[in-house]
Amino acid sequence: MIIYIVSIILLVLISPLLLSYIKATKMVLLFKRPISIFQGYRNFSKLMHKETIISEETSAITKYAPFLVLAPLIVVMFFLPPLVHGSYYVSFVDAFTITGLISLSTFFLMLLGLDSASAFGGMGSSREAFISALVEPAMVLTIFSVSLMAGNLGVGQAGVNLAEHFPKEHMASFLFAAISFFILLIAENGRIPVDNPETHLELTMVHEAMILDLTGVYLAIIETAASIKFVIFASLFASLFMPFGLEFAAPIAFLIFIAKLFLIATVVALLEVNTAKLRLFKIPNLLGLSIVFAFLSLITFYVLGA
Amino acid sequence: MFVFDTLSLVFVALILLGAVPNIFYSSGYLPHIERKAHYQLHYFAFIISMLGVVVSANALVFLFFWELMSLTSWQLILTETKEKATIKAARFYFIMTHFGFLFLLLFFLIVTDGDLEMSFASMKLIASHFAYPTLLFFFLVLGFLSKAGAVPLHVWLPYAHPQAPSPVSALMSGVMLKVAIYGMFRFLFDVLYPWPLEWGIVILTIGALSSLVGVLYALSEHDIKALLANHSIENIGIILIGFGMGMIFDTLGLHTLSTFAFIAALFHTFNHMSFKSLLFMGAGSVLHQTHTKNMEKYGGLIKTMPITALTFLIAAVSISALPPSNGFLSEWMIFQSMLSSSHIDNISLKLAIPFAIFALAMTGGLAIACFVKAYGITFLGLHRSTNAKHAHEVNFLMKSGMILMTFVVLSLMLFTPYYMEYFDKVFVGLGRASIYADIFPEGIWHMHSVGMNGGIVSPLILLFSLVGVTAFMMFAYKVFGVKTRLHNSWACGYKTSQKTQYSATGFAGPIRRFFTWLYKPDEHFEKQTIAGHETKFDASHYEVHVKPLFEKIFYINVAKAVNYISYWVYRLSHFEQTRYAAMIFNIMLVVLFSYRIFSHEFSWATFVLEFFVMMISVKILIIGDKK
Repeated sequence: MIIYIVSIILLVLISPLLLSYIKATKMVLLFKRPISIFQGYRNFSKLMHKETIISEETSAITKYAPFLVLAPLIVVMFFLPPLVHGSYYVSFVDAFTITGLISLSTFFLMLLGLDSASAFGGMGSSREAFISALVEPAMVLTIFSVSLMAGNLGVGQAGVNLAEHFPKEHMASFLFAAISFFILLIAENGRIPVDNPETHLELTMVHEAMILDLTGVYLAIIETAASIKFVIFASLFASLFMPFGLEFAAPIAFLIFIAKLFLIATVVALLEVNTAKLRLFKIPNLLGLSIVFAFLSLITFYVLGA
Repeated sequence: MFVFDTLSLVFVALILLGAVPNIFYSSGYLPHIERKAHYQLHYFAFIISMLGVVVSANALVFLFFWELMSLTSWQLILTETKEKATIKAARFYFIMTHFGFLFLLLFFLIVTDGDLEMSFASMKLIASHFAYPTLLFFFLVLGFLSKAGAVPLHVWLPYAHPQAPSPVSALMSGVMLKVAIYGMFRFLFDVLYPWPLEWGIVILTIGALSSLVGVLYALSEHDIKALLANHSIENIGIILIGFGMGMIFDTLGLHTLSTFAFIAALFHTFNHMSFKSLLFMGAGSVLHQTHTKNMEKYGGLIKTMPITALTFLIAAVSISALPPSNGFLSEWMIFQSMLSSSHIDNISLKLAIPFAIFALAMTGGLAIACFVKAYGITFLGLHRSTNAKHAHEVNFLMKSGMILMTFVVLSLMLFTPYYMEYFDKVFVGLGRASIYADIFPEGIWHMHSVGMNGGIVSPLILLFSLVGVTAFMMFAYKVFGVKTRLHNSWACGYKTSQKTQYSATGFAGPIRRFFTWLYKPDEHFEKQTIAGHETKFDASHYEVHVKPLFEKIFYINVAKAVNYISYWVYRLSHFEQTRYAAMIFNIMLVVLFSYRIFSHEFSWATFVLEFFVMMISVKILIIGDKK
């Protein structure tokens, strides 16, 4: 139980570090002087000390929505697969619920974008609605396929099952599912081929546009939510698609897990450096690829495993 | 004459849950209706007729109440006949509902052998001896699903529901469609029981198509009530997906899974009743205050109509299937039953079901987009018109109707296990084993799937943890005493006004563009240029309308074909008399030729030869020269 609580707290604490690490890696690769990997914490503390400016045009939604964006993600943190063998984990929540909770967070984020009556907020919400509508089917199909291989739909139980017995005979479907899930990781977190988190140019932005009117503590909450979302997806990827290293003693297992998260972050950074942002109307092609891989994964599972 | 088994009683409960808050709302709405007596009479007759349908025990009573339900709802659409569109919609509804009635009548005439007072149990005997059971099944599908609004018989919904007064739309969409679902349950179980596999697949396909088509057309809609009507098509589709999975599992002998899927469908029926009624009431309040159904004219209503906005938000979260709402729970159950398709041995069926999963998941994603649009454009931002500016909260009775309905929505979420117990009893009554203990093996906190590697969900724990975390953060925010300041929206330094906000059309823009092949939008774009400069303009106007594809294919084209044929029949009946002799000659020729083809031998050469002989004689003798 203690390991469980500690690992959740550590994951929350590490989340800004991961995003700053991606940024720093990208800057190194582009021959720039990198930012400190602790920049995320600095931004957070700076924002926490600022006063909150609320737009006059907004309503009660802006007052409550930032908390409602963060709360489901924090709840999801409690349902992640265990990082260490024998650690407590919540076995009564399945992958659908996690998808649903992430959608709940996005739902309030989109309302927040529409509430400030600025054209940018509406644009961001509209684009986010478009992207997340296409993410949903790929997500559900990938979950379905992974749950078949892991023998359980509950993510906690699935993580444990995969770590204990890896289904080598289903390697092909496993790989397809992994590709599909990685595309989803990029799309849901607004990384480069889908959205550029670093610019405020109107043409490129999705996530940033929705929160253009937020400042101070509210902005800090939303930024935390974004980084926690990345950690959720990265650790789901790490537990479900790289299920090894759980059997070591707690500190080592934990370090291995962190290393896996950094590995994923590095891959994301490399991808961001090497690709350009897609046009909005090309994004369905990428997500369609993800859907196709999810279908392929299921079909290979059924055909080979029947 | 009447039957009160668990299935009937559960549907009586559904109708009462839908109707009682509606009566409050309706009495608050009454002062704005001109023909009060007409409205009241048909309103209560409508509710009673729905109750009559679900408790009737023989075909005669059933058909009587069914027809009464259709006629009263038709009259209710006609309450306010000032607009031409209302009369048109009512006529369309009248035709569609009697189209369905015709097939129900045919069904009953066959299965009762003409004795309409026969009980449902004895109909089963006759139906089992009937040579073409699939014909009976299609009669049922056409009869009930045209009322429920499944693709491709859904076309009347987006016309009829917006034109009715709002309490009636809430009743029609929330409750009346469910009466059709009752009919499916009752007659498929009681009369046509052992189903072939194909029937389940037909229902599943109709469901998957309806859900996608409904949500896609809902997204492109600016009329708030038409949007909600399209969402009814979607939700009926979701119910039918559950229903179809239940039928498929049943024919494959997976009885526990089958009951689970049927319970999911029944639960979604209840959920849809609750949130759709609430949404229609909310839309009705907004409409009542702003006097327009066009969403582009709303905006910022949350500030002046907080109760409506809050109840609408709860219903929107629920219909978007976001946890921990009741909508999520039923959709979760339907997903679980579809994921249990890995138990199926038939490999092609196994590979086909993921496509239905895909349709349902896509529907979920699009529904979220649609309700962000509906809620965001209606209630958030700045007022988009003067009407919206002068809107204020509705009267007490209407508010209490909405609040009561919110309690129904919340009760379905909080007391899921208790509802589930009754749903389970329905299927015990229909001759299934009880699976309540399989869904809730460890008490009421965790809901289990009955599939092999199925999931678990704990709605209450989720709800409490979400509320707890949010409350904790808000408490911390209060305790730290963060300074807040009010200022205008930044919007990159430009001034925000009602015209710079995103519109409903703009919000659905990306999705509309992605699905252009389906929507085939009709765009109007006008720009007044200044002195011929393309880049300078002082006024511009952009409008886009989406023409429903199914309506075009199945209705308008059929109407065109009938017109065309009737033109030729008209021509024929105005020939001079000599040509009638020629027609008789030609008909005899056809009969003789076809007799030879069918009863003797068939060869392509003679067939082609005879065809040309026919054509030439028709051309010369009947049609003659063109004038």
